Amino acid sequence: MAQTDTQFETRGPRQAIHQIPLAKGFVTIVGSTVALIVLCLIFAPSAVSTGALVGSLPFAAVLAIVGLGQMLVVQQGGFDLSVPGGVSLAVVIATHMPSGNDADLLGAVLFAFGCAIAAGVINGLLVGVYRLNAIIATIGMNALLFGGVFAISRGVPRTTTDLLAEIAGGRTFGINHSVFIALAILVLVSFVMKKTVVGRRFEAIGANPLAAQAVGLRVKLYQMMAYVFAQLHYCVAGILIAGITREPTAFQGNSLLLPSVAVVVLAGTSLLGGRGFPISVVIAAFFLNQLSQFALAVGVPFSAQTIIQALALVVGIGIYSINWTTLTTKLANRNPKEE
Amino acid sequence: MTQSTCRTAVAVAAAGLSMALLGSTASAQDTPAWCGPNEASLALLDGFGGNSWRIVTAEAGRQEAELCPSITEYLYADGQGDTQKAISDINSMAARGIDALVVFGDAGPAVLPALTNAYRAGAIVIPYRVVVGGEAGRNYTRYVAASFVENGVLWGEWIVEQFPDGANILFLSGPAGNSQGLEELEGMMQVLDDSYVFLNPEPFAVTNWDPALTQQVLSAAIAQHEDIDVIVSDFGPSLVGALPVFENFDRSIPALATSDGNSLGCFWQENRANNSDFDLMTVETGTDNVRLAVQWAIAEATGGTPPESDVFTSGVFENSITDQPNAVQCEPDLPGAIYLSSAVPAQVQADAVGN
Repeated sequence: MAQTDTQFETRGPRQAIHQIPLAKGFVTIVGSTVALIVLCLIFAPSAVSTGALVGSLPFAAVLAIVGLGQMLVVQQGGFDLSVPGGVSLAVVIATHMPSGNDADLLGAVLFAFGCAIAAGVINGLLVGVYRLNAIIATIGMNALLFGGVFAISRGVPRTTTDLLAEIAGGRTFGINHSVFIALAILVLVSFVMKKTVVGRRFEAIGANPLAAQAVGLRVKLYQMMAYVFAQLHYCVAGILIAGITREPTAFQGNSLLLPSVAVVVLAGTSLLGGRGFPISVVIAAFFLNQLSQFALAVGVPFSAQTIIQALALVVGIGIYSINWTTLTTKLANRNPKEE
Repeated sequence: MTQSTCRTAVAVAAAGLSMALLGSTASAQDTPAWCGPNEASLALLDGFGGNSWRIVTAEAGRQEAELCPSITEYLYADGQGDTQKAISDINSMAARGIDALVVFGDAGPAVLPALTNAYRAGAIVIPYRVVVGGEAGRNYTRYVAASFVENGVLWGEWIVEQFPDGANILFLSGPAGNSQGLEELEGMMQVLDDSYVFLNPEPFAVTNWDPALTQQVLSAAIAQHEDIDVIVSDFGPSLVGALPVFENFDRSIPALATSDGNSLGCFWQENRANNSDFDLMTVETGTDNVRLAVQWAIAEATGGTPPESDVFTSGVFENSITDQPNAVQCEPDLPGAIYLSSAVPAQVQADAVGN
């Protein structure tokens, strides 16, 4: 499913497949991922072995889902810092409410979705309607969600139910269920975003809210819904974590905030809002996960692992934020003068 | 009042008096030596109280303080992982005139100025388990340490017993550079010679004691090393989510030297049959470390006799091979997040953690 550069084109002359220009973010992240896999094959074959992939792909899937949620918010020019709270709340609801009893799992999952919608609506109202700064509003919501986490769990982990462990942590045809779930969400998000009127309007509003307002689109509603759907993504991710890790802590979402932004940036999404690249986000999640596995397999110290991940983010921002053509031209023009 | 009623009332009063006298005699006999005659107030200050280990620890601290009738007031404050709040809690307790402060200084030397101020204001200040810098007698009354080196020695000795000809060891600890992991490694190195090889990057594989990260680290390590003989971890329950990863590689879970936890014990009992190499040895997880710190604080504040040592030492708790001192323990009907090595009864722990 290639991305096209023509932003809101819905009709036009048919193009041959080789004529469709690929998005810069897609090309970059796919190229980087292929290069990383080659590096793994050469220097750390164990990082791409079946067992290692089976062990690590569920976490890539979780990151991909969280990243897709964050992407929706970034597309509207915002940032959602309530990722840790949203994910952690879903984790504790999915483990504490059923308390090992499969029969209570469905109720817990529905309650988790209810909480996610409530949190998303509040975020959306504060940012979309009352025009609060997204960072301030969502960081406040994050604190509120952690209040919920403590109220439910007191910070104490609880063992997950067998049913959830099977649904989220099991495998079919050797592939983790969480990977299937992430791919299903990817297909759904891509379809809605690229093939429905609602999705096209969503991107148009993100690209230029003033113009969208002028043509009569309900800007505030769309901006609010970005936060609601983002929370639903975090909720799914949290429920998956609750199944993948047998006894998740109450703070399982904490480690996902920075990577969630990183995958959105690496996928080429403009931080000013506009187009989103769901496929690229998912590939970026795989890329970041594989980068960690590579670093672990090579045996570099933990400090170096952190630096490698941070560098990947900086490089990602550098590739998309700097206009390399202009910069190269300027440098080329300046050199003769210096001589 | 009739005569018979009067007699009954006198009898009841006499019985009550004798009970009270018996009670006071008993409590006088039970009063520990570290509990002196001077009345004092005591506060337990946690840098972070939001997990089951800390909840059980706080309960242990409360129980220990209850043993001393001279303690008139017992307070608890949770820093919630926020250094500023932890500092503020210490200052606040000192300002309220609390006589003795027992402090789990998660933030390390960052809380030292607040501890020093409280100490100089006349409070008995006992930091424990986490090194906060400074020195006893100048910045605080006394530091009550945990002997993590001893834990390392115990693990090392068990590994030597199981693998006398050498072994490949994977050592997992918490955040990068944490002093606990470094001390445990020091202890193991005292026992293990060159035939024991550490497969992890020096000094230990970083897991942040997070089950998700532990799972990822373990996946990478298993894929990389075909011959892991023994895993050493300083927080056993965080491994419960990660150990099933071995199944992905069609390999048995190897021998495990770690600290105890109910979820780990139950996991071992459920999975031992299908994992031929899965032997388990645990040391006590140390939720009773706080008792020694409370004893010191009360002794100093009430004029009691201080304990002999200021270092808390964990012993071996479970050994699946010898069943000495205990076979692997599991309370399937109680929550996984309790610690059967703790002197706090299991059911009390379960109630405390709210399960």
